[in-house]
Amino acid sequence: MKKTGVLLSAALLMTGLLAGCGSDNKGSSSAAEATLKDGKYDPPITISIAKQQDENAGKYINGESLNDNVLTRWGKEHLGIQIETTLLGGDATQYNTKLRLALTGSEKLPDVLPVYDTSLENDLIQSGLVKDITEDISKYMPERLKEIYKEYPTAFNPVIQDGKVYGMPIAPNLTEGQVMLIRQDWLDKLNLKAPTTIDEFEKVIAAFTNDDPDGNGKQDTYGFDFSGKDSYNTGWVSDSVMIFSAYTGKHLPGQWYSEDGKLTYGSVAEGTKDALAKLRDWYSKGYLNKELATQGAWDALADFTEGKAGIIIGRPWLYGSVKDVETNVQGAKISAYPTISGVSGDKTYQSGQQNDGVFMFNKDFNNMEAFFLYYDKLYDAAFGTGDFKYGYAEGYDYDTVNGEVVFDSKKFNTPMDAAQGVGKMSFTKNTPNVDGPGKSFYDLAQGAKPDNGVLMRSAANDPTAKDGYVISYENRDVLLPNAFNGPPTKTMQTSWEQLNTMEKETFTKIIYSKEPLEAYDTFVKQWHDKGGTQITEEVNDWYTNASKVDVMSNMGLK
Amino acid sequence: MYHKSKGYKIFSFFNYIFLILIALSCFLPMLHLLAQSLSSKAAINGNLVSFWPVDFNADAYVKTFKNSNFTGSMQVSVFRTVLGTLISMFIITTAGYALSKDFRGRNALMWVFIFTMLFSGGLIPSYILVTKLGLKDTIWSLVLPGAFGAYNLILIMNFFKTIPKALEEAAFIDGASFFVIFRKIYLPLSLPGLATVGLFIMVGHWNAWFDGILYMSNTENYPLASFLQTVVVQGSAQSMALSQSEAAAMSEQSIKAAQIFISTLPIILVYPFLQKYFVKGIVLGAVKE
Repeated sequence: MKKTGVLLSAALLMTGLLAGCGSDNKGSSSAAEATLKDGKYDPPITISIAKQQDENAGKYINGESLNDNVLTRWGKEHLGIQIETTLLGGDATQYNTKLRLALTGSEKLPDVLPVYDTSLENDLIQSGLVKDITEDISKYMPERLKEIYKEYPTAFNPVIQDGKVYGMPIAPNLTEGQVMLIRQDWLDKLNLKAPTTIDEFEKVIAAFTNDDPDGNGKQDTYGFDFSGKDSYNTGWVSDSVMIFSAYTGKHLPGQWYSEDGKLTYGSVAEGTKDALAKLRDWYSKGYLNKELATQGAWDALADFTEGKAGIIIGRPWLYGSVKDVETNVQGAKISAYPTISGVSGDKTYQSGQQNDGVFMFNKDFNNMEAFFLYYDKLYDAAFGTGDFKYGYAEGYDYDTVNGEVVFDSKKFNTPMDAAQGVGKMSFTKNTPNVDGPGKSFYDLAQGAKPDNGVLMRSAANDPTAKDGYVISYENRDVLLPNAFNGPPTKTMQTSWEQLNTMEKETFTKIIYSKEPLEAYDTFVKQWHDKGGTQITEEVNDWYTNASKVDVMSNMGLK
Repeated sequence: MYHKSKGYKIFSFFNYIFLILIALSCFLPMLHLLAQSLSSKAAINGNLVSFWPVDFNADAYVKTFKNSNFTGSMQVSVFRTVLGTLISMFIITTAGYALSKDFRGRNALMWVFIFTMLFSGGLIPSYILVTKLGLKDTIWSLVLPGAFGAYNLILIMNFFKTIPKALEEAAFIDGASFFVIFRKIYLPLSLPGLATVGLFIMVGHWNAWFDGILYMSNTENYPLASFLQTVVVQGSAQSMALSQSEAAAMSEQSIKAAQIFISTLPIILVYPFLQKYFVKGIVLGAVKE
C-alpha cells in the first residue's frame, strides 16, 4: 500500500512537471490587436529578443541599460515597438548554451532569436518551435530590404528545410577583404618593393629576417607574422590563407568550394602540399612567427606591434590594432597592400562571410510586420537616410560639434572613452551595413563628397585603414564564402572533429618539420578513409537539396 | 638530531629552492598583471611589459571605477558573497550539529547527502528547476542552488565530533537546551573549522561565474566573475564578423588587467584575518587521541 502511494505521487509529480513544461509556450504575443497608425503601433507592442552581447563592445553611458536606452526608447516613441531582451549570452559559447537550455521548454522562447550556429539552427527547426517565414517575407519585407536579400540567396541555405524557410540571414553583406600590412620603413630601408608574387614575397620576408631591417645590429626580426592556432584560414586577422591560395587557387583550407556544381574540400585539394612545403621551408629559415601554432589571432599581433615582424595580413581595420608600433618604434610606418597573386598568375582568394548568423522566430510570434518595420528602420543608418542619417543617436555613436558631425568619441561635446556601441543598444551585436567590402571608401577615393553618415564615418578613418578598404573593395572578387553553410551532416557529427584535429596537427607538424612532407599524402588518404569520402557525398547531397526548391521565388525575392 | 645530518641539509636546500620556485610561479603572474594594468596601451600591445610598468599611468583604474557595469557587478558579488556565506553557514552548521549526534536514520540521511557529492542531476535539470521555481534573474539563483555542500558538511560535522561529549552533558545538567548548547558551546569552540569552511564558501561565491551567466538575462545583474569572464575571454577566430569598432575596443588589455587585479583584491584582503584559523581547521583528524 505504502509503495503504491509513493509510486502514485511520483507519477503525479512527473505529469505535473511535463504539463508545466509545455504550457509556458502558449499564448505569447497576444498583442495582435495593436494597429499600425502613421507608422506607429498603438497601443505599443513588445518584441522580446535573444541577444549575444560582447562585453567588449563599448559600454552603456548615461546610466542606461540593456532594456532602457536611447534606442529602445526611440523604438517605443517613434514606432510603438518596445524591444525587450529576455535571453542574453555573453560570448558565443554561453549564448548557444543558453539557447539550448531555453529549448528544453523550461521557459518561453523569445520572439526573435539571432542564431549563429548551424547545428543549433537545425535543432531549432527540428524542435518545431520556430516559424516558417516564407510567406511573411514575401508579404511584409520592405522593398529595399528585398533588393539586398535577393543578392545573397545562398545565405538562406542553413534555414531551408523541405522547401520551407525557417529564418533569414542577419544583414547579408559581404565582409571586407584582407590586405597585407607591411612595415613601409623596412621596405624603404632595404630598397625593396612590396611583393606581388610568391617569389617576391619570399625575397622580402627573407630580407626582413636576415638583413636587419630595424638596424639594431641583431638578427631579431622576421618576415611574416600569422597565427595557425585556430585555423590556417580564418578570413579575419593574422591569417595565412594567402599562401595556401597562391598554390591552390580557390580551394581554401577548411572550406568547401563549388566547382561545376560539385563541392570539394579545400584542405585535400591539389597544391596544398606545395603550400605546406613552402611554409615548412620558411619556418625552418626563421621567416615566420615562431609560435604560430600556439598564438591565437589576437596574440600574434603583438610581435608586429612590438616591431619584430614585417608583414601581417588581416581586414583593413587591423591597422587600428597594430598602429601602436608607430608609437613604440621610432620611424615605424605601416602601409597597406593588396595580397599577392598565385603561382598561376591569378589572384589569391580568401574566405568571405556573407552574413553573421540568422534570425529565427518563435512560432507564436505574430508581429512579423512590426519586426520588419523596425528592422528596416535600423537600415536607415546603413543607407544614410531618415532618422539615422548620421548614426543611431547623437551623443552616443556620433555627435554634432559646432554644426559639424564628428565620430571620434574623444571630440564629442561630452568626450567619452568610447562611443556607446550600437550593438549594445539594440537587436543584434552587429548593425546592418550595405557598404560591402568598402564601397564608401572607394567612392571617397574617387572624389565623392562625404555628405551622408556612411561616407562621413568612412572619411573619419585613419588614412592607412582607408587605403586598405579601397584595396579591399577593388579586390572584392577574391572573397569566397564557404559553399557549405548547412548543418553538420550525419557523418560530420561523428567524425568531423576528429578529421579537423588530424588536419590541423598534420599541417602544423609539417610546418614545424616534425614530420616529413610526405605526411601530407598519408593525411589525404586517411582523411578520405576515415569519413571524408562519405562527408563529401553528404555535403553534395545537401547542396543539391538546398537548391532544389526555388524558395527565393516563394519568398518573392526573385 | 635529525636536522643536522648532511642528508637533511641537502634536502632542505632543494626544498627551499623548490618552494621558492612554486611561490614565484604563483606570484609572478599577479605581478605581471599589475604591471600591465599600470602601463600604456601601446606598450602592452607591443608585448613590452613584463614585471615593471612601461609608460606608467593609472588610467585603467580610473576607467574601471568609472564603468558602472564594473562597479554594479562588484556590488552584486559582494552582496551574493555575504548572503550566500551566511545562508550556507547556517545550513551547514545546524545540519552538522544534528548529524554529529547519534539518532535513528542518521546513516541513511548521511548516505543521501554523500550521494549528492558523487552524482548530480546535471546542467539541464538544475536549470529547469531553477527557472520553474522562479529564481531566474534573482539573487536567489546564485545563493540557493549551492547553499548546501556535502563536503563542507562533513568537515564541520567531524569538527563537532571532536568536541568532548562531557561538555554537552554538563550543559544539559545546567539546564541548557540544544540550541543554547549549539550556540554557546559548539560554535565558539569550532571557530577554526567555521573560518575554514567559511573561507571555502566565500571564495567559491566570489569566483563563481557560470551560474551568473546562466541565470541572469540582464548583464547588470552579473556578479563580478561573470562580468570579467565576458570581458576577458575575448573573441577568437570564431567570432569573425566583429565590426571595426568592436575589434578596436578588444585590445584594451590594460583595463582588463586592472579589472582582474581589482577583483582579486577583496578576497586577498579577507584571507589574512582568517589565516590564523586556517591551518588549524584544515588539519583536523591528523592526530587522534
